[in-house]
Formats: sequence, C-alpha cells, structure tokens
Amino acid sequence: MMDDSAHSRTAFSETLSVNLTLNGEPRTLQVAPNAVLLDVLREQLGLGGTKKGCDHGQCGACTVQIDGQAMNSCLRLAVMCEGQHVTTIEGLARDGELHPVQQSFLECDAYQCGYCTPGQMMSASAMLEDDRIGTDDASVKEAMSGNICRCGAYKNILEAIQQARVQLGHDATAARKEGVA
Amino acid sequence: MRTFAYSRADSVEHAAHRTTPDAAFVAGGTTLLDLVKLDVLRPSELVDINALPLKSVEWLDDGRLKIGALVTNTDLAHHPEIKQHYPVLSQALLAGASTQLRNMATTAGNVMQRTRCPYYRDPAAACNRREPGSGCDARHGLNRLNAVLGGSEACIAVHPSDMCVAIAAIGATMTLSGPDGEREVAFEDFHRLPGDTPHIEHDLGDGELITAITLDAPLVPAGSYYLKLRDRASYEFALASTAAQLSLDGEMIGEARVALGGVGTKPWRCPEAEAALVGQPAEKATFERAADIALRDATPLEHNAFKIPLARQAIIRALREATRLARQTGEQEGQA
Amino acid sequence: MNDLTQSALTKPRVVGKRTPRIDGEYKLTGRAGYTGELHADGMLYGYPVPATIANGVLESLELDDALSMPGVVDILHHGNFDTLHRSPNSMAHGDMVNEVRLPFEDERIYYHGQYVALVVAETFEQSRAAAQRVVARYQMEDGAIASLLLTEAEGELQDGAGASRGDPEAAFGGAEVTVDSTYHIAAESHLQMEMHATLAEWRDDGQRLIVHESSQGVFFQRNAMARVFGIAQENLEVISHYIGSGFGNKLFMWPHAVATAVAARRLGRPVKVVLPRQQDMTGGGNRPASRQRIRLGADRSGKLTSVIHDSTTETSLVHQYVDTCGSATPSFYACDNVSTSQRVLQVNHGTPCPMRAPGEVSGIFALETAMDELAVELGMDPVELRLKNNAELDPASGLPWSSKHLDECLTSAAQRFGWDKRDPVVGSMRDGDEIIGYGMASCTWSAGRQPCEARVELRADGSLFAACGTQDIGTGTYTIVAQAVAELTGAELSRIEVKLGETGLPAGPLSGGSMATATVLPAVAAAVRDALDAIKEVAVGSGGAFEGSDADSLDVERGGLTDGKRHVSFAEILGASKLSSVNGKGSAAPGNERSEYSFRSFGAHFVEIRIDPGISRVRVARVVSSIDIGRAINPPTARNQVEGGIVMGVGMGLLEKLDYDPRDARLINANVADYIVPTHADAPDIDVELLDYPDFKHNEFGGRGVGEIGLTGVAPAIANAIYHATGKRYRDLPITIEALLAS
Repeated sequence: MMDDSAHSRTAFSETLSVNLTLNGEPRTLQVAPNAVLLDVLREQLGLGGTKKGCDHGQCGACTVQIDGQAMNSCLRLAVMCEGQHVTTIEGLARDGELHPVQQSFLECDAYQCGYCTPGQMMSASAMLEDDRIGTDDASVKEAMSGNICRCGAYKNILEAIQQARVQLGHDATAARKEGVA
Repeated sequence: MRTFAYSRADSVEHAAHRTTPDAAFVAGGTTLLDLVKLDVLRPSELVDINALPLKSVEWLDDGRLKIGALVTNTDLAHHPEIKQHYPVLSQALLAGASTQLRNMATTAGNVMQRTRCPYYRDPAAACNRREPGSGCDARHGLNRLNAVLGGSEACIAVHPSDMCVAIAAIGATMTLSGPDGEREVAFEDFHRLPGDTPHIEHDLGDGELITAITLDAPLVPAGSYYLKLRDRASYEFALASTAAQLSLDGEMIGEARVALGGVGTKPWRCPEAEAALVGQPAEKATFERAADIALRDATPLEHNAFKIPLARQAIIRALREATRLARQTGEQEGQA
Repeated sequence: MNDLTQSALTKPRVVGKRTPRIDGEYKLTGRAGYTGELHADGMLYGYPVPATIANGVLESLELDDALSMPGVVDILHHGNFDTLHRSPNSMAHGDMVNEVRLPFEDERIYYHGQYVALVVAETFEQSRAAAQRVVARYQMEDGAIASLLLTEAEGELQDGAGASRGDPEAAFGGAEVTVDSTYHIAAESHLQMEMHATLAEWRDDGQRLIVHESSQGVFFQRNAMARVFGIAQENLEVISHYIGSGFGNKLFMWPHAVATAVAARRLGRPVKVVLPRQQDMTGGGNRPASRQRIRLGADRSGKLTSVIHDSTTETSLVHQYVDTCGSATPSFYACDNVSTSQRVLQVNHGTPCPMRAPGEVSGIFALETAMDELAVELGMDPVELRLKNNAELDPASGLPWSSKHLDECLTSAAQRFGWDKRDPVVGSMRDGDEIIGYGMASCTWSAGRQPCEARVELRADGSLFAACGTQDIGTGTYTIVAQAVAELTGAELSRIEVKLGETGLPAGPLSGGSMATATVLPAVAAAVRDALDAIKEVAVGSGGAFEGSDADSLDVERGGLTDGKRHVSFAEILGASKLSSVNGKGSAAPGNERSEYSFRSFGAHFVEIRIDPGISRVRVARVVSSIDIGRAINPPTARNQVEGGIVMGVGMGLLEKLDYDPRDARLINANVADYIVPTHADAPDIDVELLDYPDFKHNEFGGRGVGEIGLTGVAPAIANAIYHATGKRYRDLPITIEALLAS
C-alpha cells in the first residue's frame, strides 16, 4: 500500500503547489500537474522572454538556467522545479546593468529576429561559467549547437561569446590558442 | 498533452510501489515529456524520482565502476573517472543531443530512450511498437532512419542512444529495484530485440526501477574511440556510429570491443567482429574484415541501404583511431 | 522623375555607419513582445486539430470527449463555422493571402495538417489536451501526389511567367559546346524560429477587430481580413511589433488567423493561437520542390550563345502559387538567345509560399551549376567564364544598370579566398583524410521599391518620433529608420523613437523581397523634410526662436536650427512657441528611373568544402563572399543578413528536405529534429565584403536591399566545390550522405 505521507499524489484536475526561486525571488506557484515550465513562464507569469520554438527540445529557444545549468524549459514540468533556482532571460541583467553576454550580443550584432536570442544567451552565460567546456571556438560551437538560429547569426554569436569571456575575466585569447594546438 | 497525476518519490522503495499500472517514472523528462506531448505515451501518473539518492559514481572493490541512475549525462561525461578510464563513454555522451538535454537527461533515462522512428512518434501512423498489432508503416515507408540490424517484420526501429553504444562496448550490469526487491541484469540482455513483440522494449518489470549501471572493469592498456556519423555536425541522432576499444600486443590486437549505433534495433555489440580482431595485426585489412563480419547480417530497406556502407566506414575508422590512441598510450607508458 | 541626384546622400554622418540596433536592448532582455507571448484580459487559447491524412474526406468529428474536458469553451469546425468571404487575393490591391481557401470551408482534405477543428479553452494546457481528444474519421482516397519529384507529371504551363529573346533553340542546336542538365531541389521549410501566431480581439461590441499577428505585412493582412469578414478597413487593426522572422511565410495571411478571429467573435473574448511546430510546417508555408532543365550553348571562347531554362514547381490543391525559378536568368548573363518557362504542378501539400529569394534561389542553383559544367566542358576557369559573359547592360530590358559591380565582386572575392591556389584537377587538393574542393558561383537579386508613407514628429521634450506601417523582421528596419532621421536632423540616435508594425501608422510595405530599405527610407526622409519645414515656420513665426528670419536661411544642425550665429534645439524652438510638437508627413514611390535603368544586385560566393571520403562526411569549411548591394545603411546588420543567407545556403545545399511519404503524402519530418538545419557547429568560417557603391539612381540613400541575395548562389558554389573534390556532379539538393556514398 501507499504511504501517502511520503508519496502524495494529485488528482487530474487539481493544481499543485511548487516552491522555487525565480530570478532570485522566492515564489510559490500553483500549477497543473501537466503544466510545462515554459508555458507557466510565458502564460502564467508573464515572462515572455523565454521562447517557444519547437516545444520538443529540438531548438533551444526555451533555454533557462536551473540551478545554474542550461536546460530546455519545454521538457520540464513546472512541478519538477521544487526547491530549484530558475533563471530566465529576465533575470540575466542585474541591477539594471546588462550582463556581459547581453552587452556583447548588442555590440557584435549577434542576432537578427531576436527570437532564439534569449536561449542563446542563457546557454552562453551558463557555458562561460562551466570550466568543463573548452574555450576554443570549436568547443564553443559544439556546446552551443543546442541553440538553433535560423537567421544564421552564428558567426556573430560566437564572436559575442568570446568577447564576453574576456569581459568576464577569462583569458579567451590564450584559451583559443590552446584549443588550436 | 493529456493530464496525469504527479507525485514525488523520496525512496527507492516508495518509487517501486507504483500506484497505477500505467504510471511512469520521470527523471530528466527529456524523452517522456516529448512523447506525452505527442500523445504517444499516455501515463496516468508520473512519479518524480529526482529526489532519490542515485547520483553517485563509485568504484567497487572488484574494479568495476558503479554509476547511479540519476547521474546526468553531462556529469557523467565530464566525470574524471569516466574521462580517464572510459573515454569512449565520455565521447559518446558528448556526441549525443545538446548541452541542455545532457544537463537534464540521466543515465537510466538515456537507457530508456525511445526510438526516433517517425512513425512511432506519430499516433496517426501504424506502429507495432506503439500500438501492438497495428502494423509497421516504416517497413515500406520512408525508412531512412530505420535499422539494418536486428529488425523484424513487426519493427525496424533504431535504438537512438549514443551512450548505450559505448556501454555495450564496455560491458555493464544493470541494477533493478522492484516490488520484489533488487536484481541484476546484464546490459546486453536489457534491451530486447523487437521480434513479434516490439512494444516490450526491455527487461524491466512492472514497478521496477533502474537504480544503477555498473561498468565492467576498464580495458587496459587500451585505445578507444567513439565515431558518430550524421548529416549535420551536431545535435542529431546517429545514422551510424561505432564505439571501439582495443588493446595492443605489439603490432597485434590484444582485446577488442566493438558496438554500433544508429543501425540496430538495440545497442549493437559485435562479438564476432571482436573475435575476428583479436590476435590479428592492427591494420586496415583486419578492420575491414571485422566490419564485414559485423554487418554480415545487415538487411537493407528501400531508403536505408546506405547505412550498411556507412556503418562499415564508421567501424573501420573508429578501429583505426582506437589503434592510434592505443599506440599513443603505449608510447606514453613506455616513456614513463 | 524623382530628382534623386539633388537629394543624394553623398557624405553621410550616420547612414552607412555601424549602428547598434535601437531595439537591441528589448530583444536582449526579453522585453520585446512577440505575438505568441502577448496577453489580453479574458483571453482564451485556441489549439487547431490537424488532419492526419493528405487526401480524402472528413467523414465525422467526435467532439463529446473533448467538449467535456475541463476548461473547454468551444470547438469550431466545418459544421458550425461562420460564413465568410474569400479574399480577392490581389497583389495590386494589397489583399493577397497565402491560402485563399477559408478554414473549415468544406469537408475535403487537401493536405496533411489541414485544420479540421479549433479547440478553444481557458488555458493552453486545456486546449492542447482537448485537441488531442477530438476524434476525426476520414475517408482516405488513393492518388495523393506526394511530391513533384515523385511523378512524371509535367504540370501546367504558366503564361506570362516566362521570357524569350532571339532564337535560343536554334542557337543551342548550333552551339560548339553545350550543357543539357536537369536539376531537382527538395521542398524546404522556412523553419522561422517563431511559429505563426495570432491574438484576435473584437472591441466596441464586435464592431472593431484588433489582431496581433507575427506578420511581415500588417497592411496586407488587414486588407485581406477586411474582405474576409466584410468589414471596413478602418475597423480593423493589425499589429506586429516583433517578428521571430518569417523568411517569406509571414508575408500574407494564413487560415489560422481567420479561425482565431472567428473564435474571438463567437465567444466575445480575445483568443490566441500559436501554431504548434508540426502544424506550422505542414500548413504554414514551404518552398516548393522544383525540377529544372537548363540548356547552355557557347562558342569555344566561352561566350554564351544560348540559355534555355525550363522549370516546374509545386503548388497546393487550394491555392495557386508560382515559384518562378527563371526570373533572374534573362538578366544574368550577356547572351542574345534566352528563354525561360515555368510550369506548376498541384500536389497534396500545404500551400507553398515565397521563401527567401523565392524562385530565383532555385533557378540560380540550376544556372550556376550549369555554368560550372560549361566551364568544365570548356576547360576554362569558372571565374573567367563568368567575367567573359558579364552583362554590361541588362540583356533582358536593354537598359543600363543603375550600378553593377559583379566583375569586382568576382575578382575581389577570388583574391581574398585564394582562388589562385586552386588546382583545377579534380580531387587533387588533399589534407590528411580530407579532400578539399573549391567552388564558386555568382549571386543576384532584383532591387525593387514600393510606394510608402511615413510620419515624423519633432517633440518639445527633445525626442523625435518616426512611424511607418512596415515591419522589422530582424533585418534592422527600426534602426535604419532612426539612422535616416538622425542623418537628416542631426539629432542624437538615442533621442529617436521609431514605431513600426501597425496598420494605424502610415501605410508601409511588406518586409520582403529585399525592398523595405529602399521603400521606407525615402518616405521617412520626405516626412523629416516636411517636419523640418514645419519647425522652420514655427521658428520664424511670431514669438518664434528665430522670429522674423527667413526660413530658407536656417540650417538644420545637431537636432536644431541655426542661422550661422545661434543654434537653437528643436525642443527649445517648440518650447518658445508653446507647442508640443510639429508633424511631418511624407510619401515616396519609384518614378521614371525604372524605365531608364535596370536595378539588380550582384555578388559572388567562393566556397571551400572538405570531404572525408573514408566516412562520407562533407562539411563547408569556409565561405568568402563579395556582394554589391549599393550602400549598406547599417553595415553590421547588412553583413549579418548575408552571413545568415550563407548559413541557410549550407542547409539548402547539404541538409534540408521536407519528407512527404510517397504512399499518402503525409509530411513525416515536421519537427525541428528531423528537418535538419545548420547548427553552430555547421557554420563555416565566413568572410563577407560589402562593396560600397551607393546607388543613387535607386534612391537618395543609395541602398538596394540585402535580405535575399546572400542565400542565392551558395548551394551551387557548394555543389561545384564538391565536384572539384570528387569529380561527381550533384544536380539534386540536398546533397546527402547517401548521394555521396553512391559516387
């Protein structure tokens, strides 16, 4: 038999309560069990910066950071985020200052239509903090390949990421040389 | 996307006692939610197992490495022990999916991946795997992505995992936990060939949960290589892939392991090809002979015949690269 | 004619200079509101139910289960849909649509994914869950045509879609050297990142319709909707502030928008529909497959004597779309004997529509591959062959070009690429496991221009405001409008606000065909001048900052006026006269210059491919391009367009193909994983040079537009490079692994 105290479950039409930290703010949300994080962000919370491009983990437009890691919010139930830190594009800039990745995207014209752009930047900003991923251009391109840009602004996105790396204090030039060798 | 009940399990024992027959465990969710949205999977309940303590990677006394079911693909790929002792697994993991998906997907979830056959993923199509007895639209349809090895009249769906191909080459044991307790299954026996019952994909009983995968002790000294061939450079399932591991005894091959992806209905270990490598010179002719043996039983369909020569190329190149790396390792150890 | 030489902007201060996008911060912080994420009070969610067959009849719909589900409000379908009117579908009247058939108009199923119902519910989750519970039963019929490429059928010849001069058949028959080849290109998906989306709301007791649509042409959609619903244009507003691109499939209205507006009217609440990706791909437009035969005749010196280009493309059973492949061919090369023809074949697909460089990109693949074949036949360098046949006048019209520098594009790109290091012997250039192939092709796109209106305000708070009912689809229109205003007023860019994408604004053009820049900027300039005239009148009037001066003696400088001694800002001038603002209106249209010159952009792509034959892998390593687009108004965004076109060309050349099941015409790869487009890792090293020859015959800013040209010529350059590496001529796109293995 079930031990309901340890294993409570919901009926179909009920909503569930989920506690999470969203862009630095503790929040308690009421969501349907089948509500996907992406849809909750866009439709329930008015955080439209996270985009829907395929809804199946195939394009990366919905990328958010969960506990600092880039993830597809279209393949995550909102209720699964209990206790987690979720950061969306709306939380990337801090204290009114653009994040270095945002600033370099602006300067490098690393976008066109702008629809994949929040996802690109959420992946990029997580990647720049992840020392397990190589810093050479080829490693960056491979690590970023989960973010499709149909406008094809890949060249400028790569340039923007490597420029942001410098601004964040990592020595990209040395790293890029190392990658070539 | 249909509605379902949701619960969180806080212990393996609780998780194993599923409340409804068509409940499903959810960890990374990357396969499950994709298919629930497509209305291909229709669980009445999801049991969230992310809180279970199955996230460790540890050496056993017998020299094997035990990987918790919930270790993410990213963490496993970058784990120092994996990178050092099972580089082929690290390479295979990093060749799969995208950064985001690897951050979400778990080791056990990767094993439980469903096929990418387009007819399986479309509820309007005939598919014996999705709906037993409905037929197979792939057999005479657009079967470019389908299997040339291990298929049956009923099903020719490819197992899509890269990770599993590497694990097949390494050799491993699955630990399953269920209402009747814990049991172990050899990795090579876990995935089923489709036969007449393609809907039974694996050896997992009702209420059973994968809790760990234990890799066989690493092959030493060895070179290993995972080669994935696909249309574009990244973020695509394999059309053909090969995980190769071998050790050298001078110019001769000592031990050899070969497994194929993208071409088989399950992660495809090639024992006869391995046997044809052992004790032979590590050279092109040997690799070609092994590749021919590995693909001896391959059966082409209208649109996937190219996979046979492509897989042959993947095997030969992967063996060549594994040999090169084995020589490098040997030289380094010689210097040391 | 327009006196363009007088107003020509020869020494610009802002135009032609690198300018970060003025909408950039909105896009980069998530504050730019794309249609799919907009909300309205009381809004409902619609989710279409797509047909699962491509040919047959909808026999029944079982709706009870779906209607009983939580939150479901209504289900629209053939049995209960409103009676509406079809749009006249006229380009001239601005009411063209992408599919003239109205949603749920009859029970026949013409293509996979055709809407059979629209479920409307309180939440997105509820609408999707219920849509999956609708049971549709069909009488499926045999005989679905799955693709032009799977049939011998010829299609219907399109009168007026071809051109002819001289006697090309006779010249071909008598030519010393000939090429006669047939080319096939698979149907492609636009796969724009933002799916089609509509948010419709009726106000004023159902008298007025407000539609937010991800649209490349708000005025076209307004006009079409007015005809469909039989209401006055004045009672209809279409808004599209940010568009997650379109590449042509958002130029004209689709049936989902009509269904959404009907649902909103019936339910008296706003309704939003965002097409799921699968439906966006089945019913939201595609580039039709093409079959083309090219015959070239030349003399031994390489001079073309005959060009015959016969094309067939697909259309749907519910709409006539002609993707004219040969439209660039008559103007491409100097040749006295040229003919083109166009046929169209109906297939069981969702309706094709323009996709980036429509028609021409397919035609140029065929023509520029054929030119490479001719170069091989002649034993001639392909660059030299093109230079030899460079047309000094437009051979189609006999008119001089407004400005053409194809020869410089060819030589400059060849030099930067290192074409002189190319060993012409097939397969001769190697690097380890890889064979290196060098290939090239010319590219072109016509330079059009449309009528346009604009409005400009100079405001007392020091800001400037410009408005036009065109759109920014990611090409940078917001920014170039601001640049034009800054240029002509001397004001700081940061003080300029630009509003686009509303039918409440002065009429603006479609964002398509590389026409927006040349169309919009002259109208904005006219509006600025009108506003400047107005503020000068204010300044010299009673109580004005320059009271009593002659308006003609005042110069515009740094966001104000000066008489040579004193500079007064626009804000101060308005303040002195107690005015909140002055308004300027402007309009502009092409004039007689179109009968005196031909307008077309040209360029050249040089491609290095690397093939690893041991593993059948081909990758585009490097692309070097020189493109002449007149003046680039904002060089980084213009270059970005070309770079993006090159990436899309890599997809066209090697990856992209819509797969329709030959048995039943169902589209089986309608998703972003199985329809394969280039990723970051597929992007080659790209070096784009934009030549800087302002074309003042086209407009006073000298820009000719840049959206399409970068894509044209990329796929043939890739195919030609693969020939150089392998000796195998690939005439079918995409060039797949199986095709490589077959060689």
